[in-house]
Amino acid sequence: MKKISIIEVKELTRVFNGEVTAVDNISFTVEEGEIFGFLGPNGAGKTTTLNMLATILRPTNGTASVNGFDIHEDPDSVRRSIGFVFQDPTLDIELTGRENLDFHGRLYGLSKKEREERIAEILEVVQLTDRADAYVKTYSGGMKRRLEIARGLLHYPKVLFLDEPTLGLDPQTRRAIWDYIQKLNQEHNVTIILTTHYTEEADHLCDRIQIIDFGKIVALDTPDNLKATLEGDIVGLTFKETAEAQKMLPILNEIDWVNSAIPVSGENSQAGMSSMIQMMRSMGGGGGEMMPAMGGGGGGGHPSMPKDPEKITEAMKMMAEHGGLMRSFRNIHLLVDDASKRLPEIIKRVDKVGIELASVTMNKPSLDDVFLSVTGRRIRDEQGSMMSMFRRFRTMRQARGGRTPR
Amino acid sequence: MEPISGQAIYVVLLRELKRFWRAKPRLIASIAQSFFFLLILGFGIGGLFGGALGGSYLTYIAPGIIAMSLLFASVFSGVSVIFDRQFGFFKEMLVAPVSRTSIISGKIFGGALTASIQGFLILVISTLLGAYVIDFRFALGVFGAVGVMLLITAGFVGLGVAIGSALTDFHAFQLITTFVMWPLFMLSGVFFPIETAPLPLQIVMLGDPLFYGVELLRFCLVGTITPILGPFGLFIALGVIVGFTLAMIAVGTVLFARAEA
Repeated sequence: MKKISIIEVKELTRVFNGEVTAVDNISFTVEEGEIFGFLGPNGAGKTTTLNMLATILRPTNGTASVNGFDIHEDPDSVRRSIGFVFQDPTLDIELTGRENLDFHGRLYGLSKKEREERIAEILEVVQLTDRADAYVKTYSGGMKRRLEIARGLLHYPKVLFLDEPTLGLDPQTRRAIWDYIQKLNQEHNVTIILTTHYTEEADHLCDRIQIIDFGKIVALDTPDNLKATLEGDIVGLTFKETAEAQKMLPILNEIDWVNSAIPVSGENSQAGMSSMIQMMRSMGGGGGEMMPAMGGGGGGGHPSMPKDPEKITEAMKMMAEHGGLMRSFRNIHLLVDDASKRLPEIIKRVDKVGIELASVTMNKPSLDDVFLSVTGRRIRDEQGSMMSMFRRFRTMRQARGGRTPR
Repeated sequence: MEPISGQAIYVVLLRELKRFWRAKPRLIASIAQSFFFLLILGFGIGGLFGGALGGSYLTYIAPGIIAMSLLFASVFSGVSVIFDRQFGFFKEMLVAPVSRTSIISGKIFGGALTASIQGFLILVISTLLGAYVIDFRFALGVFGAVGVMLLITAGFVGLGVAIGSALTDFHAFQLITTFVMWPLFMLSGVFFPIETAPLPLQIVMLGDPLFYGVELLRFCLVGTITPILGPFGLFIALGVIVGFTLAMIAVGTVLFARAEA
């Protein structure tokens, strides 16, 4: 199949209030038929970029074309080419599902006949036919999301924008939404651009992922290629006593094929890899060769690697806060070149000291680890504004079937 | 930009009407509030004034209570663009290929219509309470009153939209009630005739657009108008209201179109 780019973004920039650069000179293209993901923490500039592509926000600089139409010169044609499912629910819950769809059809200038046919068809696709005439306020979170996606498709857009499509939904509903998105993409050949801060969502759905942080693109590739840039495996060791783990830590760190050994407190073992990479970055040396520069020109956005002792102490403090270093720990995570080869050796070394291991795990680096390596931060380190917290709360309430505060 | 779309105006208008009709508790609360004002103030304070106003106090305040209901309903309807824009359905409209002018025209029509329906219900209630002399002049006046209601509510929805577009923070909602709605209402000559107020207060009252609205309603329903506006008071009041409404629609539309999603 010949690849045609359906979205071309050139040096797009958006500065808010003359000081906050939400989107910083980004350029990329999206090919027709792709599922293209923006991965990044809250406030990274994902939604701002989407809003500019949808012509509801004016870029400070740069331009983009969607379906061949320039966002500055022909916003009307851009709008006709796209469907947009917002992060916040934008259904009118006082109306029925069918009314919401009908209003949408009218806005896009569909005739009465077209509206009736397409609404019946799309309701079938999202399996809401039997609830179409109930008020949206009686819908569950998953049903609302499905209705919103249905609405975004009613005018047969070439590109569908999904802003955090599964935010606040339970795992089961999330799975169902993922299936819909894939089905739409494959059966209806709709190009899909989605934003997410769930790495597993990006990994599962996207053909290509663009990691965005502080308004800059820091990596852009297929999920597999992104993960492949982190060579090696993670070996997790669990000890019976903190004292044993403390004793082993320096010994393991000495081994030359162990790129890093990081203590992980029990309740926060997720942070293990994070702390490890953070430490490697902080030290500047050590794991350097294990961390190939990623994302082409994106390197400029990285926090610089500290060299002087003061900064290293600072980094250690930061790690302590995030990874639970100072708390009691029984786990140690090792980044090694090849876990299957090194595991027997690791166990032998532990044995030699006379310590017994409680358990051992081996993992491939995940997209979470990739995110960390290119941004220097974990994706879940969210420091949301009051508004984003309120939105989250509201989305979750709506998802649970609660009513919107008015 | 996109041309004005009849469908878009219709969608927003229809949505306003459906929501208005379905939100019965809100409608009941609003009607009941005005009813209490009429009943308690009309008959309660009425005894205090006696015949000083040349008629019953209920007759005096009834047009003002209608205006109160119009004011609150229409400004809130306009200000609700904050919620619509930030969270709700408008976001979906803003990415549709329709102009913001169409969206806001629908909002203003819809808001004016629903607020006027509320005002009309208060008119019916006050008539049943015996506020007006029912004769041929009154029957004609009712038609005039409906026209005046639509006119002033369109203006106040425009004002609400302007405020709602300029403010991005919905926490300011409370401030609007305290610093916009209540002064507009209290200064509109609902409770006391402007002639009896001290001069500085009179001047402030003359700057309140709702004052002219109340005078117009009073003229339509009761047949009197304040002598303070002079022999052409009716035309002055009408002129001020038409000017205010057009200006507010323009300001609201411009501010709404300029605001970012």
